Amino acid sequence: MMALIVELVLMPAVAFVVGLAMLLMMRKIAAKIQRRVGPPFFQPLYDVVKFFGKQTQISHGLIHDVGIIVAVGGYIAAETLIPVPGMTGIADRTDVITLIYFLMVPSLGMALAAGQCANPNASIGISRALTAMLAYDIPFVIVIFGMSWMYGTTNLVQMVEYQQAHGWGLFQAPLLAFAGLFALQGMLGKQPFEIYVAPAEIATGPMVEMGGKYLGSLIVMQSFSLYTAGILYTTLFLGGGVTWIDFLVKAFLVVAIPMTIAFQFPRYRAEQMLGSLWKWPVLAGLLGLAVVMWS
Amino acid sequence: MKELPVRTEGAFAKRTNPLAHVFDEFVRFCRSHSLFMLHYCTGCGAIELPPAMTSRFDMERLGIQPMVTPRQADILLVTGYVSVKTLKRIILTYEQMPAPKYVIGICSCTVNGGMYWQSYATAKVLADYLPVDLYIAGCMPRPEAVVSGMRKLMGLIKTGKAESWKDYYRRYDHYLGNQQALFGERWQTPTDVLGEAQQYGLHGPETEGEHTALLQQVQQPLIPHRMRLK
Ligand code: SF4
Repeated sequence: MMALIVELVLMPAVAFVVGLAMLLMMRKIAAKIQRRVGPPFFQPLYDVVKFFGKQTQISHGLIHDVGIIVAVGGYIAAETLIPVPGMTGIADRTDVITLIYFLMVPSLGMALAAGQCANPNASIGISRALTAMLAYDIPFVIVIFGMSWMYGTTNLVQMVEYQQAHGWGLFQAPLLAFAGLFALQGMLGKQPFEIYVAPAEIATGPMVEMGGKYLGSLIVMQSFSLYTAGILYTTLFLGGGVTWIDFLVKAFLVVAIPMTIAFQFPRYRAEQMLGSLWKWPVLAGLLGLAVVMWS
Repeated sequence: MKELPVRTEGAFAKRTNPLAHVFDEFVRFCRSHSLFMLHYCTGCGAIELPPAMTSRFDMERLGIQPMVTPRQADILLVTGYVSVKTLKRIILTYEQMPAPKYVIGICSCTVNGGMYWQSYATAKVLADYLPVDLYIAGCMPRPEAVVSGMRKLMGLIKTGKAESWKDYYRRYDHYLGNQQALFGERWQTPTDVLGEAQQYGLHGPETEGEHTALLQQVQQPLIPHRMRLK
């Protein structure tokens, strides 16, 4: 029991630190692509501390506060559902379907929070964010379904064990892996699919009225989302990790791919995003599903 | 619509814990290394910011980033001459930024009117209307000058000297008087500056005066717009 509690605390804590490192990696990749030096090593930490240290913390009401807590809390809960080397948290008792539900909570929390800000930009941003969720969740669910079918289980711990015995999912279902990577791009809200942040157009959308600790929490949330995406993909396709080192190398590599693609692209419009996410990854996913089910 | 509550962390209470100063120092250090700027591109000086931010001079290596809304920003960059109409927007923007906030006036025009000195339509000295932390003079200053000005500001923040945002609360009457002289007696902003001054414990003898008395006379409560479909 005690060990479980320690794991439940430790897993989000690790996620936080690694997530901040991923945030740094994202900005470094952007800098390298644009031939800049980029931010210093502790930049994400400085940003978070600064935001929490602001003297004015403007709240727009109860739901604003609660929404942010829901958004960050959703990810904190999700971290305990994904097994990492040495720790399984409650991953062996639940399954990937629960995880899908938990991964939708942050978007809804942000929608609540942004809704109370009553800023038109925030409303547009939220409606776009939920549209985006609709777009990437369909390929994502197909991928999850296909992989669960292939491994014969929805339990993430067993999936990792299967892959460590029989080889990575990436090689057994490459089409699904491609679809998953495509959906990841949408899930992270990175450039071609960045419709809901769009700083130059709707002034960072849902974040428009957030300042101080609210924006700080959203930075924390973003770092969680990067980490979750990285380790979920690693767990599904890259055989999880035996040690922390190979696990983190895989997770960072996974996150680096969408980042590198992102900074080459401008932004798609909403219908272009829906079009591309419902066409290519869904086609590849369905094809991959057919292959998996036949063989 | 109720008034938006502004909460502070009681930062001005007396500190008794000896470690509090270490903590304050740490926060100040982080603050100085993470500056999000809202560049209010009023005049020609704005053209020097893109090279300062992109590959050639790369402000991000100092932790300086552009931001798009006043709520998220720390620095208000006023880049160039300020027309009377623009100044109203600058003041609205400034008052919405969360403290601690810093104002940088780039270009000679913000220092003393520059080459628009004789213009009827520009505000001459920015520091009359807003508490300016730092001027970067030049017509227009090169990106090197902008970056070195930013470094100066970082130094000021680190040593706790960039506190002019408190001045806006302490001497609000003075700033408001200048604003009223320019915009007329009916000038008001949606932000309750006097209330905020109370909240921060910065309400001093010069916060209120004849100008704030005038403001309180003409001030109209904020009413939300009625939503209707045409
Ligand atoms: S100082 Fe020169 S460059 Fe700057 S706003 Fe004035 S006229 Fe333009």
